[in-house]
Amino acid sequence: MAWFMGIDIGSGTSKGVITKDGESIAVEILASGINYNEVALKLREKLTAKARLDPKEIAYAIATGHGSKNVSFCQEQVSDIRCCARGINRIYPSARTIVDIQGQSSQVISIDEKGHVINHAASEKCATGSGRFFNILANVLQLELADIGSLSLTSNKPIYLNTGCAVFCESEVVTRVSEGVPVEDILAGAVKVFAEKMGALINRVGMRKQCAISGGGTLNPGIVKALEQKLKTQLLVPQQPQLVTALGAACLAEEKWQ
Amino acid sequence: MTDMFFAGLDLGSTMTKVVIIDNNEKIWASEITHTGAAHRRLANKVMEKALEKAGLSFNSLALVIATGYGRMSVPFADKQISELSCHARGVVHFLPTVRLAIDIGGQDAKGLKIKDGKLEDFVMNDKCAAGTGRFLEILSNFIGIGLNELGPISMKATDKCSCNNVCTVFAQQEIISHLSDGIPIEDIVAGLHEAIAMRTVRMVRRIGIEPDICFTGGVAKNCGIVKAFEESLGFPVFVPENPLLSGAIGAALLGKEIVMNNGEKDVTIKRPDRHLEAVSFFK
Repeated sequence: MAWFMGIDIGSGTSKGVITKDGESIAVEILASGINYNEVALKLREKLTAKARLDPKEIAYAIATGHGSKNVSFCQEQVSDIRCCARGINRIYPSARTIVDIQGQSSQVISIDEKGHVINHAASEKCATGSGRFFNILANVLQLELADIGSLSLTSNKPIYLNTGCAVFCESEVVTRVSEGVPVEDILAGAVKVFAEKMGALINRVGMRKQCAISGGGTLNPGIVKALEQKLKTQLLVPQQPQLVTALGAACLAEEKWQ
Repeated sequence: MTDMFFAGLDLGSTMTKVVIIDNNEKIWASEITHTGAAHRRLANKVMEKALEKAGLSFNSLALVIATGYGRMSVPFADKQISELSCHARGVVHFLPTVRLAIDIGGQDAKGLKIKDGKLEDFVMNDKCAAGTGRFLEILSNFIGIGLNELGPISMKATDKCSCNNVCTVFAQQEIISHLSDGIPIEDIVAGLHEAIAMRTVRMVRRIGIEPDICFTGGVAKNCGIVKAFEESLGFPVFVPENPLLSGAIGAALLGKEIVMNNGEKDVTIKRPDRHLEAVSFFK
């Protein structure tokens, strides 16, 4: 009997998964805050409580993500690229391309049938290529982040935004609001800008079917639809896309131990 | 010959500039006002102020040229000329031997390659706030230091801190993390200036870097950026006395040249129905 743990410390939220025989038996999501080790310890506490385990019973733990190097109790750190690839492979063995949309960056990963990384491209230099873009939009339009996606889906006349810069977009959005353009049309336009960015990133890696998505940004159904239109294919969408990387870390921990 | 007067109006995203010159290229008046939301429609007021300073009436202007981002919506202009042509002309007026002109305005950055006083090639960034005046505006606001103080503060830097994030949004977070690491603000500001300079240098490298180099636009008023440019370009950088006016002066000079060249052909370009009226976007 052995249990494994994956801890994914992101810029906004931190995620943890405990697995047993490759199945996840406990999951937890917390805000990252400013002390990454503290949030990791809290994740471990909550996860082991949910699984009715003692932390000592975790055979192997892997930390990944933006703040993984601050985590004190894991045996190993692994890049989020490998963990994400492994996580998607566990959920969707047929996936060959992954679009991973995180709070401060996004990446496209090309994988083989075993979940090994073949190629990879990241957008981390520009806020428009990350979930941050939607935080900015939510803020300027005074909407809840969670509502943006579904609201954008109600538009049948997306506007064309002239810019791919989050800062300039903010000004343009204010202008459009003052012109009386419905907010759903503005959002649908912004989602298209984002999908264009992702399309360019996917082209750098090369699109191989099937394509899966992961990361918190994926919770926005507007993005999923816009990407499906852009890529002209149906995407594999996990039920809990934010947990994919933590799950992958736990799976890698299990393989490591065996 | 009696004096003739020419006006150039540069309606930028952030500032509206007007220059009035005579046929000897002497500047009679110049005016710079925030474009803002209201003034975007009131370019005529800026023109009125300049005319008042020069002691001239609107009708005495032989030709009014509009340039800049909002040039198409100036109803009282006789002609519109692209800002690239106007900037090139203005820069050559400031520095006749110029080969590379860098102009960083409120929302864009341009590089102009000039040969024998003529525009040969250009590069431009108007797609991303990083490397434009907007970047500095947002960051100065964010750290609570006036835009005009950034340059002098950065001059005090002893150990310039490198800023890796080009994105305006991410740069704000980077500033927080540098500040929490105890890095002095002057070292951070100097690092931000260097980041803008490096980004611009990478852009203008596409058209070639050759002296003499002239730097204009609002951002040229920041001595820290000028210094960062000189370090990364490896050449001295000339900044005219009023770097914001290059587009408006260039427009006025091009206006003068049009009238002078047409004088022999006896063609009227001045619109007979020209009135000094407010800008309208909804015609």
